[in-house]
Order: sequence, then structure tokens, then C-alpha cells
Amino acid sequence: MLQVNRKKLLVLALYAGEIMLKNGAETYRVEDTIIRLCKSKGFSYVDVYVTPTGIFISIDNKGESQEEILSYIKRIKSRSINLNKVAEVNNFSRKFVDQKISIDDGIKLLKEIDQLLPYPHYIHAVFGGLASAFFALLFGANIFEFLSAFITSILVTYNLKYLLSIDFPPFLTNASGGGVAAIMAIILSFLHPSIHIDKIIIGAIMVMVPGVAMTNAVRDSIAGDLVSGLARAAEALIIATSIAFGVGFILKLWILFAGGTLI
Amino acid sequence: MMYVTNFVYALICTIGFAIVFNVPKTSLIKSGFGGALGWTVFITINHFFQSVVVATFIASFIIALIGEAFAIIDRQPLTVYIIPGIVPLVPGFGLYYTMLSILEENYELAINHGSESIMIAISIAAALTIVLSLNSYRKKRRSNF
Repeated sequence: MLQVNRKKLLVLALYAGEIMLKNGAETYRVEDTIIRLCKSKGFSYVDVYVTPTGIFISIDNKGESQEEILSYIKRIKSRSINLNKVAEVNNFSRKFVDQKISIDDGIKLLKEIDQLLPYPHYIHAVFGGLASAFFALLFGANIFEFLSAFITSILVTYNLKYLLSIDFPPFLTNASGGGVAAIMAIILSFLHPSIHIDKIIIGAIMVMVPGVAMTNAVRDSIAGDLVSGLARAAEALIIATSIAFGVGFILKLWILFAGGTLI
Repeated sequence: MMYVTNFVYALICTIGFAIVFNVPKTSLIKSGFGGALGWTVFITINHFFQSVVVATFIASFIIALIGEAFAIIDRQPLTVYIIPGIVPLVPGFGLYYTMLSILEENYELAINHGSESIMIAISIAAALTIVLSLNSYRKKRRSNF
């Protein structure tokens, strides 16, 4: 009886941690949630080691029980940002600890959370466009640049979300986002002399810029999670490089073949 | 007047990013408010002291404090409020100009822009870390005594 419980509890805790880690939660929050979930059912020894690419858990009971330590490893391959799921799992863990939901019900609830849909693509695209356009305004864009950033970023965000939803390789996804931004900016800059390509491109790439990974990298390192910190720093560096590659490739082609100028 | 328009622009900007990051519907406006206030603080300090790094640090500090307050009131994870809020402060400009300078083979300028971007990233993270570790220290003390 207890054996089944232990296994199921571990699966549940692992599932909760996996959803959180895949959708952009911080390392310490994942560790904290898993420890809480396991301790709420009375396990005195719980140890968790979370990195952005995997979760390791082992649990045991104190003292006389003859059962062996249970350990699980879960490999995490892809990460994106869906803060709604993080918030939902957070609520779930609070309820699970307080209200004694049974483990089977818990797993069912977690499955529902895992299948929550993000906002539809067109909403993402429109609001990504608005965000970039107003971001360009913050840095002193004029009305033409505002409109161009809006159009460009709608295309970039739509492209990005679509490629993410069909599991396209991450490096190429970000590079193509940067490429689309650069192409659109160059085309739109011909429409009116006061349109500068830099504000449009910066507005559009803000949707992809690895601010979260970059900040989490430093935060994890300061908090002592050095492996997570390095992993996230590598992630941020790769994303930044791929965006820069996409934008730079198109701009360089434009300079070489069409004699364009950047400023 | 400049501050009001900047506040509104930053509000819409932050809410837009919040939707891109799938923040829950009930928290959208709040995370937008934090980001907008942070940005207004940023331009104010940057205006008076001419230091992007210091302004970013203080603005992120304020975003983290507001996020922490909302997180405690609403019992939501802190990330929901902080991540969209700090996006306007993230050095996208710096990254772009670093790339541009490398493209123009002006490596000195690239190092300037690149190191400034790294300083900005560190100042955001340091501000967040200060607020977060103080808060977790507070929680730990409360549960111990």
C-alpha cells in the first residue's frame, strides 16, 4: 500500500516540477514546490536537485522502515514561457498541501493544467505588435516608425509562435525571427524617409530577447545554484546569438548586394 | 507630461509582453502597472543622473517590490509580475548595437556596448535578488520562530 503511494507521490511531484520548469519557473521555486508536495504526505527525507535541463528527486522515510530510497530522474528538453501554467501549479501545490487532495485526483488536476492552452496565436501576434510598437515609442520613435514596428512585430511574433508550436529547432526559430524583422524593417524603410530601421528591428526583437534567461542566470548564480546559473547563461547567450545571426545576416546581405547603409 | 505619456506607453508595452508570456488574465493589469511605474522611475533617474545602470538598478528594485506586494496579496508566484515588468529595461538596444558594431567591424564599440549590456543585466538581477532573498529570509524566520 505504502509502496504504491510512494511511487505515485513521486510521479506527481515530478510532474508538477516538470510543468513548472518547462514553462519558465525559477530553479528554487521548482525545488521548493517538489519538497513541499513530498513533505505534505509525511516523508521526512526529501532531496531535490533541479537544473534547467533535468530534475533529480529522492525520498525516504526515517528510521525503522525497511523500504528502499526511491529516486527519479526527469530529463527536460525544451523550455518556453507560459507563466499561466506556473501560477496554476503554484496554486495546485498550495491546495494539495492544505486540503488533502488525493494523489490520483492530484495527477488528474496536473494533467488538466498541462493541457491549458496559451492565448491564441492572433492575440499573441497583436499584443506582441503593440508591445513592440510602444517599446519603440519609449525610445523616441515617430509615428511612422511606430506603425512599422507594429506591423513588423505582428509578423515576427506570429512566425515565432507558429514555429514554436510545430517544434522547429530553437536556434533556427530565433534566427528566422531576427531575419523577418530585418527584412521587414528594410522594406518599410523605403516607404518614408523618416523611418529608421534600427528602432523597428529593436522593437521587434524585444519579443525574443532572452531577458528572462539572462536575469535568471545571474539570480541563480547569486543564489548558489551555480550549475543552473551557467546553464541559463548558456541559453541566454545562444538565444542572443541566434537573433543577432538572423538580423546580422540579412543586414550584411543588404549592405553587400544592395549597397544599403545602416544609419 | 513626458512622465505621463511614458507611463502610458510603458503600461501598454508591459501588458503586451505579459500576454506574449501568457500571464494569467487576472494579473495582466497589475504586472503592467509594475512595469510602467518601473519605467517611469527609470527615465526620471536617468534624466537627472545620466546613469543607465543606476537607473536600471533602482527601477528593477521597485518592480520587484511591487511584484512582491502583488504576489503576497494575490497569492500568485512572483515571476508573473516581474518578468513582463523588467522586459522594457532589458538591454535589447545594447545587444542590437553590439551586433551592429561587430557587423561594421568596429570591435572597440562592440565591447563598449556589450559590456554596458552585461552591466545592465547584472544590475537588474542584483536588484531582484536583493528583494527576493530578503523576502525568503523573512519567510524562513517566520516559520522558524
